[in-house]
Amino acid sequence: MFARPGLPTFDYVRPDTAGDAVGLLQEYGEAARLLMGGTDLFPGLRDGVFHPKVVVDVKDLPGMDDILFDRQTGLTVGAAVTMNALTSHPDVQVHYPLLAEAAGTVASYQIRNRATLGGNLCNASPCADTSPATLVLEAEFTLCGPDPSTGSGRVGLRSVPAGEFFVGPGQTVLRPGELMTAIRFPPPPPDAAGRYLKLGRCKSGDLALVGVAILGYPDGTLSGYEHRIGLGSVGPTPLRAVEAEDILASKLPGEDAFVLAAEKAMGAASPISDVRGSASYQKAMVRALTLRGLRDVWSKMKEGK
Amino acid sequence: MANPASEPFTSEPVGKSVPRIDAYEKVTGSAVYADDMQFGPGLYYGRLVRSPHAHALIKSINVSTALDMPGVKAVVTGADVSNNIGLYLIDRPILARDRVRYVGEPVAGVVAASEEIAEDAAQLVTVEYEELPAVFDPEKGAQPEAPLLHPDLGKYEVANFIFPKPGTNISEHFKLRRGDVEAAWSRCTAIVEGTFRLPQIQHVPIEPHVAVGLWDLEASAARSGDVTLWTCSQSPFAQRDLMAQSLGIPHGNLRVVSPYVGGGFGGKAGISMEVCAVVMARAVKGHPVKLRMTREEEFIGTSVRQSLVAHTKIGCDAEGNLLAMETQYYFGGGAYNDYGVNIARAAGYSCTGPYLIPNVKGDSYCVYTNQPIGSAMRGFGMPEIHWGIEQIMDQLAAKIGMDPAEFRRRNCVKTDDTILTGMKIPPVDLVACIDKATEAINWGESEESSATHKVRGKGVAIMWKAPAMPPNPGSAAIVRFNEDATVNVSIGAQDLGQGAFTVMAQMAAQALGVPYEWVRVSVPVDTKYSPYEWQTVASRITWSTGNAVRAAALDARRQILEVVAGHWGEDPEDLDIKDGVVFSYRSEEEQPLQNMVVYGLPNEGFEGWSGGPIVGQGRFMPTYVTNLDFETGQGTRAVVHYTVGAQAVDLEIDTDTGEIDVRKIASVYDVGKAINPDLIMTQIEGGAVHGMSSAYEALYFDEKGQPLNPNMVDYRIATAMDVPGEIHGDFVETPLDDGPWGARGVGEHVMVQTAPAMANAIYDAVGIRFSDLPLSAEKIFLALQEKLAGS
Amino acid sequence: MTTHAITLTVNGAKERLDVPSNLTLLQMLRDKLALTGTKNGCEAGECGACTVLLDGEPVNSCMMLAVEADGREVITVEGLAPDGGLSPLQEAFMAHNAVQCGFCTPGMLISATALLERNPEPTEGEIKEALVGNLCRCTGYVRIVDAVQAAASEGGA
Repeated sequence: MFARPGLPTFDYVRPDTAGDAVGLLQEYGEAARLLMGGTDLFPGLRDGVFHPKVVVDVKDLPGMDDILFDRQTGLTVGAAVTMNALTSHPDVQVHYPLLAEAAGTVASYQIRNRATLGGNLCNASPCADTSPATLVLEAEFTLCGPDPSTGSGRVGLRSVPAGEFFVGPGQTVLRPGELMTAIRFPPPPPDAAGRYLKLGRCKSGDLALVGVAILGYPDGTLSGYEHRIGLGSVGPTPLRAVEAEDILASKLPGEDAFVLAAEKAMGAASPISDVRGSASYQKAMVRALTLRGLRDVWSKMKEGK
Repeated sequence: MANPASEPFTSEPVGKSVPRIDAYEKVTGSAVYADDMQFGPGLYYGRLVRSPHAHALIKSINVSTALDMPGVKAVVTGADVSNNIGLYLIDRPILARDRVRYVGEPVAGVVAASEEIAEDAAQLVTVEYEELPAVFDPEKGAQPEAPLLHPDLGKYEVANFIFPKPGTNISEHFKLRRGDVEAAWSRCTAIVEGTFRLPQIQHVPIEPHVAVGLWDLEASAARSGDVTLWTCSQSPFAQRDLMAQSLGIPHGNLRVVSPYVGGGFGGKAGISMEVCAVVMARAVKGHPVKLRMTREEEFIGTSVRQSLVAHTKIGCDAEGNLLAMETQYYFGGGAYNDYGVNIARAAGYSCTGPYLIPNVKGDSYCVYTNQPIGSAMRGFGMPEIHWGIEQIMDQLAAKIGMDPAEFRRRNCVKTDDTILTGMKIPPVDLVACIDKATEAINWGESEESSATHKVRGKGVAIMWKAPAMPPNPGSAAIVRFNEDATVNVSIGAQDLGQGAFTVMAQMAAQALGVPYEWVRVSVPVDTKYSPYEWQTVASRITWSTGNAVRAAALDARRQILEVVAGHWGEDPEDLDIKDGVVFSYRSEEEQPLQNMVVYGLPNEGFEGWSGGPIVGQGRFMPTYVTNLDFETGQGTRAVVHYTVGAQAVDLEIDTDTGEIDVRKIASVYDVGKAINPDLIMTQIEGGAVHGMSSAYEALYFDEKGQPLNPNMVDYRIATAMDVPGEIHGDFVETPLDDGPWGARGVGEHVMVQTAPAMANAIYDAVGIRFSDLPLSAEKIFLALQEKLAGS
Repeated sequence: MTTHAITLTVNGAKERLDVPSNLTLLQMLRDKLALTGTKNGCEAGECGACTVLLDGEPVNSCMMLAVEADGREVITVEGLAPDGGLSPLQEAFMAHNAVQCGFCTPGMLISATALLERNPEPTEGEIKEALVGNLCRCTGYVRIVDAVQAAASEGGA
């Protein structure tokens, strides 16, 4: 009924290769849980939501904590990169400040030293702080799993766009035996500006009651600009506010366009009322945060950032 | 620690901001708290099996599978513990017997070799329940047709100042009748009525409750052996007394030891899970049993602040003088009462708030509800009732067009006023507090907000509180010298962080005439060695234990002066002690305290010795508190004294989101005498943030009484980022006649009225009155939307 | 359940321990090494009373397995001060009355120590942000922030 003190019993295993990790996942199926930062796993273990036989620590697999940037191909972030490592990396700060901002809003400094980008995405909580950013940055997730074309022992990789990854609260397209190994962000559009706005129940440290990620950049549209708006915590999965984006592609940037777009973004949201907040408030805050975010992004773009 | 003679040296420390006596241990991590105590490999661990239902009959309990698990040593149920326990009303089974009355009520205790095994075994205990209709709203629960939680209410032992109504859920009804309220309404120019509600909230001490119980193996048939409880306790002696009575153990055989307490706020003052540890230890004599609350259990399995529904009506004349008040309080007392009945009583005899109102009709009820145990939390009913009082006063002031601060200056209690119970209030200067607090936020000036989408507002609220105690709560102290003239002060009072040990050391040093740095306070508090202390509650320690410590120090001083005077052939009246040296004003002889405070002094020519170990003892107990009439609440002296204060809040509301940004809290209290001025400031700062945080806090339950947010993810307390832009603290000193150096307490008072001060500022900003706690950005935003839609 | 032989450095001393898979770092420090300065406040990564330095970075030790600390360096409150002394932050906490019940103090000191290592001149806002994960119910944080500022202006953690 209540969370237990300490953790339930399980065996801890640290495989050396992705192949070994996949093998363990296949062998144990539902009785295995992956461990990277542990910030979602531990509460689930205490609450009895998870009762694995084995906990498979994959954060030290080769490449899992790498951050690589290339102007041509973009940013590759290992799934085990922590939020703090992400926010403090110079290439992320310079080229993907929206991502740095989103990662920097997670919980507390201590948690950000453990919580990982891959973990945040695979846990797929509707209120995850990094998932709206992956939507608007059009990230692709590298998933490593059993290679269907060969026998056991070989692993294959597949790439899933962020927009197709999340399918429900806590549910993703990860197949049995699969784990996320990297998140790839294409090079950002030139002269792009972005923001992640988050409303919690207190000034900092909380989960997102509403999360809004906005990326804006000059483009050959009617308005001269393209915007991508990602909403978190206001639906079963993070989502793109497509109608809002369309408005911004056709109307010249300015308060009128932003207000209309914010209305549309609100319309795209379908939050549920719970102990954290009512649906009507969350919807209204989508509008408020989107409006603020659009103004901020616009002034950043004007500054030529 | 180093040689005291080479240490820094503070003479006459009373009134000085000397450093805390316990800070070194705490910053090095060497301070020992209950869970840090080591008990060796014989230590067993306990886990409680808890009710999943808010109200249900227990049909059967099956512990056999649990008992079979390797490592399990015992499983204890209500069948093994036939006694009830309770503070003022003995209403609580230690482990549930025939029925459960709240989600989380302990039904069984499992003892095992490790906490892990105890937890696994606890999950194997199966209990069959038959659900009963439950009560959650206290006003509904007070009605005759409500489901009955305690059919045996009439059979419970009860203190002679508490009046339950058997056959109902009302565990206490306090009546206040003064003047003629009905006649007074007709003389009122303006009348305002309102209903104010607040939910349960929890203390959230950073240290969860921990208790270790040990029953010695029986030495013989005749001698039953000792029982020891180690726990983070504000009230070791009270806990000992309750357990002695409930379990039939002689007081002298029962020992409660309390090391440093990691925050209490009233939640570690009564008895909740501690007695479970003791009865579980009884099943495994010779082995200590440690019971620890997880944070989730801490939220609903220890105690909470009661919920309240308050209906209040007040009226004033054309000049703004308050004439009448009628008020009813329905406190949601939870399933069992602990301090709850006394909180309802204290609220009843305080129901005017710090105002002089000649005609009062007040009824304060404590009502059983199927919720966690409602009990003492910082303020003991005062934050609960001031939420409504301070808002309705603002509403009445507005109705006659008077400034809210001016309304309070006019109507607040002043020295020697005869207050609602018929007693004269000892000297206090609430007007000075109002003046200083309002001035600090530029009251009366309408100042600009920091952005166009923000609106700014200012609010004020005042408060009063008396220690809510039985008429005879005693403190005792012992002051002992060591050979090097350092001093050990033994008290039964606790330092919960409020600084009690520091001010006791200051007072002992001052009264003795030694430097502050020579004084140590003995930790842990241990009923076997420490002298009696009623409880560390009610903001009473500086006053009550301070008096006892001062008396003990003066006793020791008298003994020293007699010995030295005799040695010099002088009159003790001509001698004094300063900085650890006895000297004579007459002969200018000097005698350092070292050695003589243990060994005495040799007579002339070493023909014998005089003196010996100096041990001073002192006690304090108020002698003048009287009973109150059951029908009217009138009496010669209801309480010992009052501490009063004012808070003024300057805040902004973000109209886009409803978020509140507190720019400044000005907080001023009349403390009688600031023994340690900086520690008063730190109480004011902590209290302001605690008070502000409490405005946003709430425990939520679903329609079946299941707690929805008993964890720190969804029950959030203020973080460093939530602190107001500025906290301006100040105090005035109107001496208390029987306070040590004139001092009285302030530890609770500093958070009592922050929430209504904020609500008044919010009204000033947006013209919306919030009568129900908690406040939230969401509530404010949605209310703003509604207001805009309506206009 | 498997146990693991781990070696790690705690407060400068090499330790060798056999730990069950499910033992948290917090439990290991308190129950196996008797380093009780690090506290259990929530076991949920919310209160920060269990904060320790792991290779110089503050983490909630309740949210880590002991086995994950194999080969790492851990510093607890007991390891903050040079032998027999007090660190500048510890001195500052005492001088500014940043301590009341003291239960949050070890975690606060650890977080603040790490902050001043990475940001020797933090603004008030940066200090508060760094301490968001360390809850205090007694002080209202005012003196804690003051103490960190004072230690920073005196040039050290």
